[in-house]
Amino acid sequence: MEGGQAITLAALSITLLVGLSRAMILFIVTSGLSFVLGVLRVPNVAHGSLYMIGAFAAHSIATLFGGGSTGFWLAMIFAPLVVALISLVAERLLFCHLYQREHLMLLLFTFALMLILGDLTKIVWGADYRSIMAPTMLQGSISIFGSPFPKYNLFLLVIGPLVAIGLWLFSTKTKMGKIARAAAVDMEMVGAIGINVSWVFAFAFVLGCLLAGLGGALVSPTISVTIGMDHNIIIEAFLIVTIGGLGNMWGAMVGSLIFGITQSFGVLLWPQFAIVFPYLAVVIVLTLKPTGMLKSVW
Amino acid sequence: MFSEMIRQKSFGVSAAIFVVLLIAPSFLPRYYIYFLAVIFVTALLAMSLNLCVGHGMLFQFHHGVFYGVGAYTAGLLLAKTSLPWWIAFIAGPLAAAFAGLLIGIFCIRLNRLYFGMLQISLGSLIWAVAFRWYALTGGDDGIHGIPMPDFISSTTGSYYFVLIVLGICLVLMYLILKSPFGSTLQATRDNPERCAAVGINVRRHQLKTIVIATFFGGVAGVLFVVVEGSIFPDLLFWVLSLEIMIMCLLGGWFTFAGPILGAAIIVSLRTFIGTYTEYWTLILGVILILLIFFIPEGIMGYNYRQLFRSRTQYATESQTE
Amino acid sequence: MLRVEDLHKSFDDFKAVNGAHLSVEKGQLVAVIGPNGAGKTTLFNLITGQLQPNTGKILLKDEDISKLPPHVICRKGIARSFQIANVFHRLSVFRNVQVSVLSQQKLSDRLFQPAARLVVEETNRILESVGLLDKKTDVADSLAHGDKRILEIAIALGNEPDLLILDEPTAGMSPEETTTTMALIQRLSEDQGLTILFCEHDMEVVFGTAQSIMVMQQGSTIIQDEPETVRQNTEVQQAYLGGE
Repeated sequence: MEGGQAITLAALSITLLVGLSRAMILFIVTSGLSFVLGVLRVPNVAHGSLYMIGAFAAHSIATLFGGGSTGFWLAMIFAPLVVALISLVAERLLFCHLYQREHLMLLLFTFALMLILGDLTKIVWGADYRSIMAPTMLQGSISIFGSPFPKYNLFLLVIGPLVAIGLWLFSTKTKMGKIARAAAVDMEMVGAIGINVSWVFAFAFVLGCLLAGLGGALVSPTISVTIGMDHNIIIEAFLIVTIGGLGNMWGAMVGSLIFGITQSFGVLLWPQFAIVFPYLAVVIVLTLKPTGMLKSVW
Repeated sequence: MFSEMIRQKSFGVSAAIFVVLLIAPSFLPRYYIYFLAVIFVTALLAMSLNLCVGHGMLFQFHHGVFYGVGAYTAGLLLAKTSLPWWIAFIAGPLAAAFAGLLIGIFCIRLNRLYFGMLQISLGSLIWAVAFRWYALTGGDDGIHGIPMPDFISSTTGSYYFVLIVLGICLVLMYLILKSPFGSTLQATRDNPERCAAVGINVRRHQLKTIVIATFFGGVAGVLFVVVEGSIFPDLLFWVLSLEIMIMCLLGGWFTFAGPILGAAIIVSLRTFIGTYTEYWTLILGVILILLIFFIPEGIMGYNYRQLFRSRTQYATESQTE
Repeated sequence: MLRVEDLHKSFDDFKAVNGAHLSVEKGQLVAVIGPNGAGKTTLFNLITGQLQPNTGKILLKDEDISKLPPHVICRKGIARSFQIANVFHRLSVFRNVQVSVLSQQKLSDRLFQPAARLVVEETNRILESVGLLDKKTDVADSLAHGDKRILEIAIALGNEPDLLILDEPTAGMSPEETTTTMALIQRLSEDQGLTILFCEHDMEVVFGTAQSIMVMQQGSTIIQDEPETVRQNTEVQQAYLGGE
């Protein structure tokens, strides 16, 4: 095997866990995309840009507050909020005027937003690599079968399911969540019973983008934050929602798991072209189940 | 069939433009000849995309992949093998069409949205492979100084070659769009369900369109190599695909020649603005937003509506102009 | 010609079609009536392949077509029009009909011939028979609603069908337009000997023209018989005519 890595139990476990923690980030980001897709029926191409801005904003906020643990936690809270604010502005200013138009126009708008946000990020933050430090309690690693596993990844393994449960509770137990779910299935009906459809869209869009920002903030200690993150993540997110089922949150989880784990094992088996493995999984899934593994919301 | 074409009013205008372009190199400085050649290549690429998007309403969001495949195939064959140039030139479009067929077969079974999203992702895989496979493709650097046959290695030579190939391709595309195949394609754009109800196998028709469009995309890729003499991964990068789509929208995606106008405008803007700022992508995004809000049918689309109101855009045989 | 036997179709728990029976003989003009939500359009969608039944049989000239896709069913001889005007909105009226004529003559894939020269006579003939010849260069989207419905029928005629299925052909039409359209349908049935199946919920319209009427309610067939017999049937009167 390349890299001279022995396939020991330790290596396999670490690979699996790394894949799972990566899947958690993917899930957080993708659930947002899926949510917007379910309610607005449009894949937000700019979703990746908001993820990237979340990461950059986390860096700035953390640096603003000294760069240590406090900085980190404040960044985790405020970076997603910053992203949510940006998305709200974009939505109220421009996006909402397109709701009456054909869907293709909405989609094209998200393309334009991606282009614009991409360059704006470059203007505001520049093209350098950045990263932030994990808080002290999450630094270092623990030992799994004798091999080191980063504590921060453990943290991600906890956060992921928490977000999933939170989203599930939200969409089934709260009024707003139920309205959003109903809107995903039948928008006209929701409008007919007197609910302001435009605000439902706005809410869904902002929530989706907030999740993207959260994903970006959470990922920032583990990778180099740089321009181009938006393209990479959106390509992966598209694949995940496609194999998971459009608009389906659990589908996003399933898809993320498949993607994260195959990617991780790809790095183990063929580092230079690790990228091929998740794609292979996608091709297999789609050949067997063209509409995705779980039901799409519409 | 040609007599059909010649009778159209617009043919006279096009012929005049063509003649002007033919003699242009005798009075234009070398840079402008090169610049026009770049526009020609981009125009062909945009036209090929519009077969899918404007006339077929297929969400061909990563058409650039086929451009890149055509360019890389031709470029690699010329640079790394001793095969004659015409084999490389033919291999390019064939490879592109083959890639189009493969990706098409896989994606066409899904609905439009999946089709678009998957194309972006699968296309990006090809970009990633080209980017990383340094030994074969030169990775990020690409390959430069690709040898060209003598008659097209000069600026003027490549200009004429590109112009003539563009002309031939435009005529072919015009004939295709005016044929039953094209008419049916536009019907599938307007109402795929109705098409199925009149006996058309919509998916198969769309797949054929994709193969034709990607073939022409591959031709554009070969022409790129002729003009630039190099290949690099940017050709396969997603933003380029978006740029071509914007060209189609800008020029008028439901018209025949709209994409050509769009290509000319965008390439000129890009070159001009590029001297002042590196944030062309931002400008591109703003242009797209303006288009969406103010002229969703593009420049030529807007004109037609003004001129003809509710009359048809395409005259039939029995109507006199 | 067409026989539907004990057809069932559910969407999750909702039984849209729950035991439908229908029989259409060659040359007949048959109507399906029923209140809104009775399942008429779903039944038609099942017959022409937009939907697949859960159980039951659909036999066209004794061949089971229940699992076939729409474009194959069309080739077998059925053409239909849709309830919501479903035309090719950017194309001219002429080209709208031409598309189906081209498809019928298997010319849809011809690449290097001008479409403007092909099948012109046939297309014009159809346009004339429905009264749209003078509007043939108009863009389909610009037509009045009633004309769009007629264009719907014209497109279906392009397929030279053995069986023409019309889904609520007079929906949304004014009384004059309704009379014209029904006259057209009768003309098509008598002069051209077309077998026609249509559904309606305007009672006047149906009883004056159809030779056989099938009554649907909540997805099932109550009765199919000649108009007079149907009119006398107490179940029908209670369920449908009484309530109107």
